[in-house]
Amino acid sequence: MIMAPPQVPTAPPPRPALNPNAAATIELQGVCKSYDKFVAVDNLSLAISPGKIYGLLGPNGAGKTSTLRMMIGIIVPDSGHVSIFGEPLERAHMDRVGYLPEERGLYKKMKVLDHLVFLAQLKGLSAHEASTRARSWCERFELTSWTGKKVEELSKGMQQKVQFIGAVLHDPDLIIMDEPFSGLDPANAVALKDAVLELAKNGKTILLSTHRMDQAERLCQSIYLINHGRAVLEGDLNQIKARYGCCNVQIKYEGDAGFLQNTSLVQSFNDYGNYVEARLAPGADAQELLKLASAGARINKFELMEPSLEEIFMEAVSKTHA
Amino acid sequence: MRNTWLIIKREYLERVRTRSFVVLTLLLPAIMTGVMVLPAKLATIGNKIQHIVVVTSTPEFGETVRQGLLSTTPDTDSEDDEANSGTNDAKTTNERYIIDVDSSPTEAERTLLREKIIAQSIDGYLWVTDDAIASGKIAWASRSLSGFGEKSRLSEKLNRVIQYTRLSKNGVTPDQADLLLKPVEVDAIRIEGGRETKDSGGKKFLEVVVMVTLIYMAVLLYGISVMRSVLEEKNTRILEVLLSSASSTELMTGKILGVGAVGLTQILVWVVMAGAFAIPSLAMQTDLGDLKVSPEVLAAFAVFFFLGYLLYSTIYAAIGAISTTEQEGQQLQFFVVIPLVLSVFMLTAVVRTPDSPTVVWMSMVPFFAPLVMYARIVIQTPPLWQIALSLFLLIATIIGILILCARIYRIGILIYGKRPTLPEILKWLKYAKA
Repeated sequence: MIMAPPQVPTAPPPRPALNPNAAATIELQGVCKSYDKFVAVDNLSLAISPGKIYGLLGPNGAGKTSTLRMMIGIIVPDSGHVSIFGEPLERAHMDRVGYLPEERGLYKKMKVLDHLVFLAQLKGLSAHEASTRARSWCERFELTSWTGKKVEELSKGMQQKVQFIGAVLHDPDLIIMDEPFSGLDPANAVALKDAVLELAKNGKTILLSTHRMDQAERLCQSIYLINHGRAVLEGDLNQIKARYGCCNVQIKYEGDAGFLQNTSLVQSFNDYGNYVEARLAPGADAQELLKLASAGARINKFELMEPSLEEIFMEAVSKTHA
Repeated sequence: MRNTWLIIKREYLERVRTRSFVVLTLLLPAIMTGVMVLPAKLATIGNKIQHIVVVTSTPEFGETVRQGLLSTTPDTDSEDDEANSGTNDAKTTNERYIIDVDSSPTEAERTLLREKIIAQSIDGYLWVTDDAIASGKIAWASRSLSGFGEKSRLSEKLNRVIQYTRLSKNGVTPDQADLLLKPVEVDAIRIEGGRETKDSGGKKFLEVVVMVTLIYMAVLLYGISVMRSVLEEKNTRILEVLLSSASSTELMTGKILGVGAVGLTQILVWVVMAGAFAIPSLAMQTDLGDLKVSPEVLAAFAVFFFLGYLLYSTIYAAIGAISTTEQEGQQLQFFVVIPLVLSVFMLTAVVRTPDSPTVVWMSMVPFFAPLVMYARIVIQTPPLWQIALSLFLLIATIIGILILCARIYRIGILIYGKRPTLPEILKWLKYAKA
């Protein structure tokens, strides 16, 4: 497909003003957290509105886990403000939040069902209600025959599923998941993804942190990209892609590729003989390039590539370094 | 509150349901009973009827000695002997010996008796000739170097016989002799709050020892459980899940109380079992009233046991919070053991001078208070303000350690690798504010 080239941003777009109304499910305002001399989160602001799947992305050590931990009150920010459901963060709100930490942990000696009931009771569910819901979730994740077994008898993948059930059993309005897919085999990853999508469809807000861009790309509607504790890119994923998605062109051609050599339209290219990937120069119009190319060679295919989130990420990160 | 309760419940049920809990609860009393009953049983096996030959210079004196040895007059000292040998039945005294009298004190007879002992036709002979009495050395020959009990029993009865004989030789009538030889007894009377109680020092000592033993047992068995369980939560990383639902103070409180309740349950089972076994045998004793412990002491016991247990469990929890492995935790156990051991050392001073300034101030120090203040209450009731102050400091310390420990525990999610140093811990406490 051929797309009209939009304006190519030369710098990360200015951060949209934080939505001041109370509609945000969770909102961080100028949050900072440092350990000793290491700054984990540096003046980070973000707002997550209800009913969407958000991705908190960033390389290892970007401050994702610290950010999530501050959202659920495990650690307290050095400065800044965290509000949830339109109120300042309090422990009582945690009954409406489900948390799946990156480091999974369950009591090894406890029976699966007892464990799930215990976790749900901590969130305010009655034992009976917790037990009913736990059974139906276990059925969905094919764990029914394991409910009476001790956690330590389960495989790692099964324990992960139990952990996920534990995070959503109390039907939370906000579900925060840290690297939810790590360690899952493809079949279980699909089951988990389906469950997450269904929760979102039912109006739950989901925030998942990951360094796996491909997963985020497929699942999330909105992303916050952070690096060194700061937001480098944020917003609706489609819009971001549209913003960035203009610079790469894939051309299949027959003839002379000389049209690439002396033009200011192309920043760099990679020629494979009858196939070339070219990166447009900032501000260049892809249509101009097409004209130029068709003048010198026979063009079989001309495609404006949508950049992968990974590329966007790399670019955004490299810009913050510059 | 809801969370604390849920955590207590989980800790309690998960532990009580384990097989090891049931086994330990039932097995330990069995082992203890074995340890206490077996030696006594073995001792009674040794108490078979002894066939003894009494060698005297005259048959008449021989008969007197025989009567003396077979006498059942329960005087104060022989009562102790019976208690030692584990038999409560006073009648056994005269069934203990078969006594033959032999009035030919010759060397040949001695050789003959020796051979009889070797041939096991007799158990031993007593050489009580006039010469031997005059020299004050009476020989008791038997196959085995007879037990302490046997020897003292014999010498005591013989002494009585010989004292009577000597007195009567000097013209003292048996009645007068009884009067002369009547022993006196010292009764210890404790004056307390206008009442007089006839408590013996031994009994008080026992009350303190019971406390020391129970605290030790409970702390070592269950304090370590608290530490392990804290470590388990950190190492399985379930901590982070729990912290998203409950505060670290709730978790810590629930854990200490939950594991504590398990320990109390076990001890209660043991006490009930011990009671069921002990009461029938105690009921046979006439001086049951003497064993009654005053309600004040019982209350003090309950309060100080509970608080002491809580204090040391909390210290164990703190150790768990700053350690990363159980080995590391065990190395830090001296934080618990040293105060306990020091308290035990101090008990001597408490018994000797319960109101000396050192003892008074030591009983205020929370780490010693559970044992030292309790011992003071047992020995000599201290002024009320001292008890109150000691309790206040103890409770404040428990709460203080608990809060501190909850903070370290929360920061535990950041701990990887080696145990943190003290400065690091202090730094973490800063991160863990609010």
